[in-house]
Amino acid sequence: MKKTPAFNPTVLLAAALLIYPLIFSGAFYLDIGVTFLLAAISASAWNIVGGYAGQVSVGHAMFFGLGAYAPLLCYTLFGWAPIVGMPFGMALSVALAVLIGIPTFRLTGHYFSMATIAVAELIRIYFGTWDLVGAAIGLQGPATARGWWDLTFRSELPYYYIFLAVLAFLLGLTFMIERRRFGYYLRAIKAGERAARSLGVPVQQTKIKALALSAAFTSVAGSLYSIKTGFIDPESGFGILVSVQMVIIAALGGAGRLFGPLVGALILIPLQTATNTWFGGGGTGLTFILYGGIIVLIARYEPGGLFDLWEHVRPRRWRRKHAA
Amino acid sequence: MKRFRLPAAVVVATALVLYASGLSGAAETVKIGIIWPLTGNAAAAGQASKAAAEVAADIINNAHPELGDLPLAKTAGLPNMGGAKLELVFDDHQGNPSLAQQLATRLITQDKVNVLMGAYQSSCSFTATAVAERYGVPFMVGESAAGNITGRGFKWVFRGTPIASDYARTYMRFFSEMKKQGKKIDSIAVVNENTDYGTSVADAIVDEAKKGSIPVAARIPYSASSTDVSAQVLQLKEKNPDVVIFISYTADSILYMKTMKNLDYKPPMVIGDDTGFSDPSFIPAVADVAQGAMNRSAWAIGKPGSTTYKINEMYKAKTGRDLDDTSARNMQSFFALADAINRAGSTDPEKIREALAQTDLKPEQLMMGYQGVKFDNTGQNILAATYLIQLQDKKYELVWPESAAITKLEWPMAGWKK
Amino acid sequence: MLLIQVIVGGLLLGAIYALFSSGLTLIWGMMNFINFAHGEFVMLGMYVSLLVVVWLGGGPAAFGFTAAFALFVLGVVVYLSLIRFVLRGPMLSQILSTFGLALLLRYTAFWIFSANFVSLPQTSLSGTINIAGVLMPVPQLVAGVIAVMLTFGLHLLLTKTTVGSQLLAVSEDRGAAMLMGIKPDRMQALAWGLSAGAAGIAGALMAIAYPWSPSVGETFGLTAFVVVALGGFGSVPGALFAGLIIGLIQGLSAFWFGPIYKDIVVYALFVALLWLRPQGLMGKA
Repeated sequence: MKKTPAFNPTVLLAAALLIYPLIFSGAFYLDIGVTFLLAAISASAWNIVGGYAGQVSVGHAMFFGLGAYAPLLCYTLFGWAPIVGMPFGMALSVALAVLIGIPTFRLTGHYFSMATIAVAELIRIYFGTWDLVGAAIGLQGPATARGWWDLTFRSELPYYYIFLAVLAFLLGLTFMIERRRFGYYLRAIKAGERAARSLGVPVQQTKIKALALSAAFTSVAGSLYSIKTGFIDPESGFGILVSVQMVIIAALGGAGRLFGPLVGALILIPLQTATNTWFGGGGTGLTFILYGGIIVLIARYEPGGLFDLWEHVRPRRWRRKHAA
Repeated sequence: MKRFRLPAAVVVATALVLYASGLSGAAETVKIGIIWPLTGNAAAAGQASKAAAEVAADIINNAHPELGDLPLAKTAGLPNMGGAKLELVFDDHQGNPSLAQQLATRLITQDKVNVLMGAYQSSCSFTATAVAERYGVPFMVGESAAGNITGRGFKWVFRGTPIASDYARTYMRFFSEMKKQGKKIDSIAVVNENTDYGTSVADAIVDEAKKGSIPVAARIPYSASSTDVSAQVLQLKEKNPDVVIFISYTADSILYMKTMKNLDYKPPMVIGDDTGFSDPSFIPAVADVAQGAMNRSAWAIGKPGSTTYKINEMYKAKTGRDLDDTSARNMQSFFALADAINRAGSTDPEKIREALAQTDLKPEQLMMGYQGVKFDNTGQNILAATYLIQLQDKKYELVWPESAAITKLEWPMAGWKK
Repeated sequence: MLLIQVIVGGLLLGAIYALFSSGLTLIWGMMNFINFAHGEFVMLGMYVSLLVVVWLGGGPAAFGFTAAFALFVLGVVVYLSLIRFVLRGPMLSQILSTFGLALLLRYTAFWIFSANFVSLPQTSLSGTINIAGVLMPVPQLVAGVIAVMLTFGLHLLLTKTTVGSQLLAVSEDRGAAMLMGIKPDRMQALAWGLSAGAAGIAGALMAIAYPWSPSVGETFGLTAFVVVALGGFGSVPGALFAGLIIGLIQGLSAFWFGPIYKDIVVYALFVALLWLRPQGLMGKA
């Protein structure tokens, strides 16, 4: 979007995110901010394969969970600083992505989606029985920091800026992909695989690469989550609600758009916090009924999410300004 | 208008002074933040405990001389703090440990609670207590079973309830007594639902059994949301243990008893580890097929006129049901917490913490069958204990330890045979 | 002896899997579309049965028909209001539509009925039959047998009746069917009704024998995927065989490895099928 620098929405957004903790400095608000950033990171990671390439994974929690367990496992087994476990989580996730991608991407999209649910469930149940990873009880991180490298902070402020940096990196990477050939391939695949193939797009390879990249960053989100929370168990790592949240946030904001997941998170995380605190007792039930309803509405009326909705609602002025 | 400025200022200043003095002089309130699962899978337990906590707050905040030696019942409010009342702030973590963490943070920093209680699921207790430890706010764990909630070297976390290893040891003591009485206990089986609750207790039992040299013929974890348990029952039938210990929730407990009848499998004895076996819907559903099944409980309603009976009546008036063991344990922890705050005489966290560490409640001051309330240096109540009860006809009767028993233990269990 | 018990139990449960999976495979065969809310249809069938028993005091026949009818209507409504529009849309819409529907149905059920497991009060079907040492609880037996009959019935409906051949025609060649005067839209709505109705009866049958809660839809949905993958997408006879096989595998896994592993084995089988033989036993890929 090319507007005059002072009003560039991206710059404004970045500034707002940077100064948020300075304005809302209470621990609770900081936690909401951190939760928002984590959600934005996971959803943006999902977006690469689900939004841009159109391969709808509804089991992305498998990557999140692997990423979440790896740091705490390294800590519990070897006493290492949890962050050291993050690359292991990423490696495992990428391997899993390739393993799932190869057979299912040959078939129509539905197979892939079904496979993602089945594998995520499989891993969740298995981890619940596996003593090495704490079985149903789960794993914990260091209760008190042994040094700065443990990343166990009393205040959530460092988490906020670390996560913000990761989000910026991921979005920057996605931006670059958008502009290059890989991004073109992704869009072509989403528009129509057969046509893409006839244009010479290496469909199978591209899909697997997209899934692997998406998996790696989802894994990073998981690692950040478990380091911040200091706890992980099969449900919070691999549960279906983890997958659902990623999908709905990306889809709500606009799947396949750079800032789609971020916008989705900006709306959903505060909304979720509000329903948690206001209803007090009405929590889970209502939040997920709402999620289900929103997803159905998006699917039926505006698959492109809020970004597309915006375009349809303000066509002429927007189009004139952004004719490109 | 200028003439009114000085008098107005004086009036305002006076009002402020009076208001401020009112704040410090008269009774304060002590805020207790409670994080429980009020929705989601464990909602029934969370809601029941919430009602129990509200009854306890009522007992403390209002004068209830009919409740005898129960701490803080006779007086209205906390006597050492000028009759300060307890104010409960409930939050629903929905079984999500990350949310429990966030809510604990909010309760401490926004709602400014003085102490915290919670959180049922061990996963949520882990994260919420870590927050309390970080901020230096006392946290009373009322019922989570995982061992190392109090094992992390935390100073601010206390747990009033027995834990998995306590239950396991109780069972082993029971078995060795039974063996001495000539009952055959050559092997046991442990059937547990596989979330943190079932796994913690099962692990503890298997450990203790090893120490007590009782072979575990089968350890069968299963998912509490199974619709069909015949495979498990057939496995048990094959292994033929002398005692089967079930660590289950409500639906699965009922399903097991029914499936065992269907498949004609009756071990000499069945012991249920509270939870499912204590749910009000258990007895009506399986009384005709599970006669003699044993259960554990630290809570007994007692005879009419007793303190425990009266407390149960108060709870029943509020909810229409009898007080269950889990909620009762929460209630007991709540009383211990309030007693400590009273002894501290202030809302200063360090004073409350000290008072908690020095807690020494005697059995006659308790509503539960513990041997007392006394916290060791990890924060665990080392005097927590449990009874064993048995389903006879349509009620559970206290059968062990024999010193407290009301009726005689029937062994082997009758099941569905008369 | 115990092994035979396990096998019989597994087959009886598998029969019910076959029944509800046959609906899923029908939709897939006709429209190349997967209904992620299929498990929730089964779950709703169970709750409808509960409501019929509690409010109207009906017996198995009453709630069986009611569940079938109610879910049939729901299936048609879902098709007309939602599916019809997303069929021609992007993959994201297609998958999100029924996925979102599943969440909506599941959590509405949680909200209305709570997470507690429920079961039907004892009906006239109770007790256990002993045949040659094998104990068969009457509810399971009745449910399993009826399930097999209904699945077979669906197969007959599709292959031997006019309506059935119209449905199959649309699934084989939409254009040609239109030329023959068949309205694909109407047929597809009918297919959705049948699919949901089958799921509903399957739910009612399960309700006779097993307890449930709103969460069971998720597991049933996944089980249905596996059955359909094994049996071949589009093939009802395939679903019948595959359902029985999956029920059997589940029972044996639970008995040999432990109940925790029964779902793991089934899902792992699914992944293996995707790797090795996605078109299943008897279907088109």
